[in-house]
Amino acid sequence: MNPQWQNRAASRRRDPRGRDYISVKDYCFWFGQAQVLKGLNLDMQKGSVTAFIGPSGCGKSTLLRSFNRLNELNPQARHRGDIAIEGLSIYDPAVEVISLRKRVGMVFQKSNPFPKSIYENVVYSLRVAGENNKSILDEVAENSLRSAALWEEVKDRLGESAFSLSLGQMQRLCIARAIANEPEVILMDEPCSALDPIATAKIEELIHELKVKYTIIIVTHNMQQAARVSDSTAFFYTGNLIEYNKTQEIFLNPQNDKTEAYVSGRSG
Amino acid sequence: MKNQSQSHHRTLERFQVSRRIGWFDRFMNHFIVVGGLMVIAAVMGIFVFIFLQVAPLFHGAEVKLLSRHKLTDTVDSVVAVDLDEWGELPVLIQKDGSLRYRDLKGDRGIIENGQVFQAGETLSSIHYNSLNRLLVAGSNSGRFAYAKVGYRPEYDSLSVRTVHPDVTRSDWFDLSGKGERILFVDYGEGDSNKLAVGICLDSEGNRHVRAVSLEQDLSLFGEGGKISLGARFDLTEAIDQAIQQIDVAPDGGLVLIVAENGEVFVFFNQGGKLELGQRFEPFGDLPDRRVGGADFLLGDTSAVFTGWEGENRVYSLSLDRDKGKRLYARTKEFEPMPELPEGYFPGVRNNSFLLVGNHHASLRFSTTESIRWQRNFEFEIIRGLIGEKYDRLGFLDRTGTFHLFHLRDPHPQAGLRAFLGKVRYEGQAEPDYVWQSTGGTDDFEPKLSLVPLIIGSLKGTLYAMLFAAPIALLGALYTSQFLHPKWRDHVKPTMEIMASLPSVVLGFMAALWLAPLLDTRVPSLLLVLLGVPCATLACNWCWGQLPHRVRTSIPAGLEFLLLSPIILITCILCWKAGPLAEEILFVVTNPETGERVADFRLWWPEFTGATYTQRNSLVVGFMMGFAVIPVIFSIAEDSLSNVPKSLRSGSLALGASRWQTAVNIVLPTASPGIISALLIGISRALGETMIVVMATGNTPLKDFNIFSGMRALSANIVVEFPQAPFQGTLYRTLFLGALTLFIMTFIINTMAEVLRQHLRNRYKAVR
Ligand SMILES: Nc1ncnc2c1ncn2[C@@H]1O[C@H](COP(=O)(O)OP(=O)(O)OP(=O)(O)O)[C@@H](O)[C@H]1O
Ligand SMILES: [Mg+2]
Repeated sequence: MNPQWQNRAASRRRDPRGRDYISVKDYCFWFGQAQVLKGLNLDMQKGSVTAFIGPSGCGKSTLLRSFNRLNELNPQARHRGDIAIEGLSIYDPAVEVISLRKRVGMVFQKSNPFPKSIYENVVYSLRVAGENNKSILDEVAENSLRSAALWEEVKDRLGESAFSLSLGQMQRLCIARAIANEPEVILMDEPCSALDPIATAKIEELIHELKVKYTIIIVTHNMQQAARVSDSTAFFYTGNLIEYNKTQEIFLNPQNDKTEAYVSGRSG
Repeated sequence: MKNQSQSHHRTLERFQVSRRIGWFDRFMNHFIVVGGLMVIAAVMGIFVFIFLQVAPLFHGAEVKLLSRHKLTDTVDSVVAVDLDEWGELPVLIQKDGSLRYRDLKGDRGIIENGQVFQAGETLSSIHYNSLNRLLVAGSNSGRFAYAKVGYRPEYDSLSVRTVHPDVTRSDWFDLSGKGERILFVDYGEGDSNKLAVGICLDSEGNRHVRAVSLEQDLSLFGEGGKISLGARFDLTEAIDQAIQQIDVAPDGGLVLIVAENGEVFVFFNQGGKLELGQRFEPFGDLPDRRVGGADFLLGDTSAVFTGWEGENRVYSLSLDRDKGKRLYARTKEFEPMPELPEGYFPGVRNNSFLLVGNHHASLRFSTTESIRWQRNFEFEIIRGLIGEKYDRLGFLDRTGTFHLFHLRDPHPQAGLRAFLGKVRYEGQAEPDYVWQSTGGTDDFEPKLSLVPLIIGSLKGTLYAMLFAAPIALLGALYTSQFLHPKWRDHVKPTMEIMASLPSVVLGFMAALWLAPLLDTRVPSLLLVLLGVPCATLACNWCWGQLPHRVRTSIPAGLEFLLLSPIILITCILCWKAGPLAEEILFVVTNPETGERVADFRLWWPEFTGATYTQRNSLVVGFMMGFAVIPVIFSIAEDSLSNVPKSLRSGSLALGASRWQTAVNIVLPTASPGIISALLIGISRALGETMIVVMATGNTPLKDFNIFSGMRALSANIVVEFPQAPFQGTLYRTLFLGALTLFIMTFIINTMAEVLRQHLRNRYKAVR
């Protein structure tokens, strides 16, 4: 998709395992002296939904933010090991962070619309990419808002401030904003934590629809939600990956005691 | 049992706020309220104090009756009434040349002084000039004499003052030369001129206008030399109109002759000649052109005219560029008198004058064109006077009663017009905004326009902000958004140290180091200002051309380590290349030697017409900018860093670059804080004093030329307050300057606050 991404030098270093779309290898992560992630290994398939579950503070968000290298905003952050997308390491010197982030979109736990109009929020990624053609922007805005199931609610008030939306609408706006960038991967960090059941249902529905086009990784504390939306589930505990399997397996037939305790609600 | 009740008691207590916490909470509430109110009260107190200091400037004169005394029964014989400087011994000057004093303080009652002028001549005319207290008499035999109607205080052992008359009389001088009867004569004497002009009636009934100058021998001790007759002039031919009035300037430098048709002839007494220099009609534009009366104001250059409908104008001498000489031109126009003005009485302390007509009296102040006080009395006024110290008004009514009033008008030069309007002061060709509070001579008029000072303040602020705002804001943006956090932690404390530099140190550096340094190196500076942005842009372009494997090898936020040596080298190169640029660009012909020289200091005035001084606004802008940068920087940096991290990561996660994030997201969100930062910077620059005092020449100018100095309102207070007598006009005007500064800051604050609220509503981030 991005020419810099797929340059020749990079393709030579492609991982032979190829099949696995995203692969995390011996990934360790530190904030200063504190080790947050302790040697993780997992692979994710293209077009799948992967759920990250685990008790609070176990490092789910940290891992998620590693995929688009957003942790680097923190000067304390250090890592070892590697993460590759389509076989190319995201830490490869040839990879520009900007193009990585265009490929890997993110929806935050706390919705964070920009202090701009609804419309400008959606087309922000196109604007920063230098796209100013009104008709293209309009089309992308409409499609993205439709994909995020927000179009009907906001089509008459696109010029209004994004802050005039409700929390659930804001979260869907942030999803629309991420979709507008046409990423390949969408990272969702507890996208429904602040939402009511109806808005949550809408977003879950949305995830089902998006799955066709995008690879989705979602962090959630809601077991039912993980069970409903994901294909595979990874259970983390204090920076370790305890168990990673098909969602059904994790919930119906967990191999690890900790996993079982967690999914059945006996601990954490 | 006991146990149970105790636990029950305890559960109740659990839900009660402990008495101590409640008490403390209430105390703190009140404490904060009282504290807040006290702060507000203190600010209001300062404001009220300044206001009280300033308010008297805008009051008119206060006039209160002191006493009434019957002086005479025969007012028809009164020429004038005058008063000593202490207001104790009024004198009636009578037609026969006798003086009649009245002691108001002691028990001496009426003191008759008898005839002033020697017998042997028959008086045929008498005239009193209150400006120089000269009584001038003419005789039947064509001679004239004058007497100084003075006073002499005497202090006894208890320092009690008694005022005595002190009249000195001149010899008789021959005005006519032909023994003609004098109908009228006036005389004025200054240091260089002594001139008498009069009308003589010859035996055939023809009138002649004759003038004579007197000369004084220089005695060995510089004073008291013998006075003798000098040149004699006959002005009869020059005046083709019937004469109404003759007025010799108190300094003898010129004479105004008013004709009955309203024309005024001006004869200048210069170089031993008395020549007609100008003819004009003070009321030439009115249906009735006639002049009612004319007389001089203090200072010999202005004359007050009244018209037949009560009009009142002042004409002043100023240089006429076309004719190349000093001519009379109209400078002031007062509101007309409701009554026909019959008497004119000038003040001898300032440019005030009193016009009386019938029952009406009006005290006017020429400089500011204002009526200080006016009143209709129940008595008919025939003569008036203004006390020598501008603290008394006196009126003689038809019945011969003298009404003495106390006059309280401490600030006649003040007024809205003087502070903010264009005023034409004596000797100026055009009305203008001038600040000049003190001068060398006694009859100096303080010129109190605040406009040049306001402009000075704005000018300093403008240049300081032009320099400081971009640097501080870009610096803050860079530090908060781009700089590596390890370095960021060092920048802020450094900036705060910079902010704590006393401004007097900066001013000292500006005056003694920066001004002389920049004086010869303006072209270098211009090159640096041009070179640094160019070099930076060029570097950025080159950087963009590098493969990004190289670019990612420099950690984000440390790029400046590469850039700063380049900028440093550019600065040095530009500085060194300055003289070279001067050779090429700023070459002018030196007017003194006629050589072609490369000197920016000469080029600037020649090319722009504006002046160039060493201690100029550029130096002030730099140094004051230096003082303002840390203030703006730290507030702006704070507000930029306080932009929610979620917004920043949201933008970055969408693939925006750091710069795009900074400009599109961070900057707008932080804009209310940035407005605050700029505002505080402006306030600091407006109020900044020591740097402006030391780094400029403190000349009150009215231009925005960057290479000239200025005088700011704040600096003005420092410069002038040693000369300002307590509660005098200058003292209060300085407070007015302070109030103006306060108001300016207030206006700027309000505007910025409105803008800030607007931006805040627009860009407020969620939660
Ligand atoms: N900026 C930071 N600096 C230092 N330590 C951090 C930072 N952010 C997170 N941590 C630590 O890293 C660990 C993992 O944090 P992380 O946010 O990934 O947890 P999480 O699994 O997402 O938890 P939650 O479910 O509560 O969101 C925690 O122990 C946390 O204290
Ligand atoms: Mg988290």
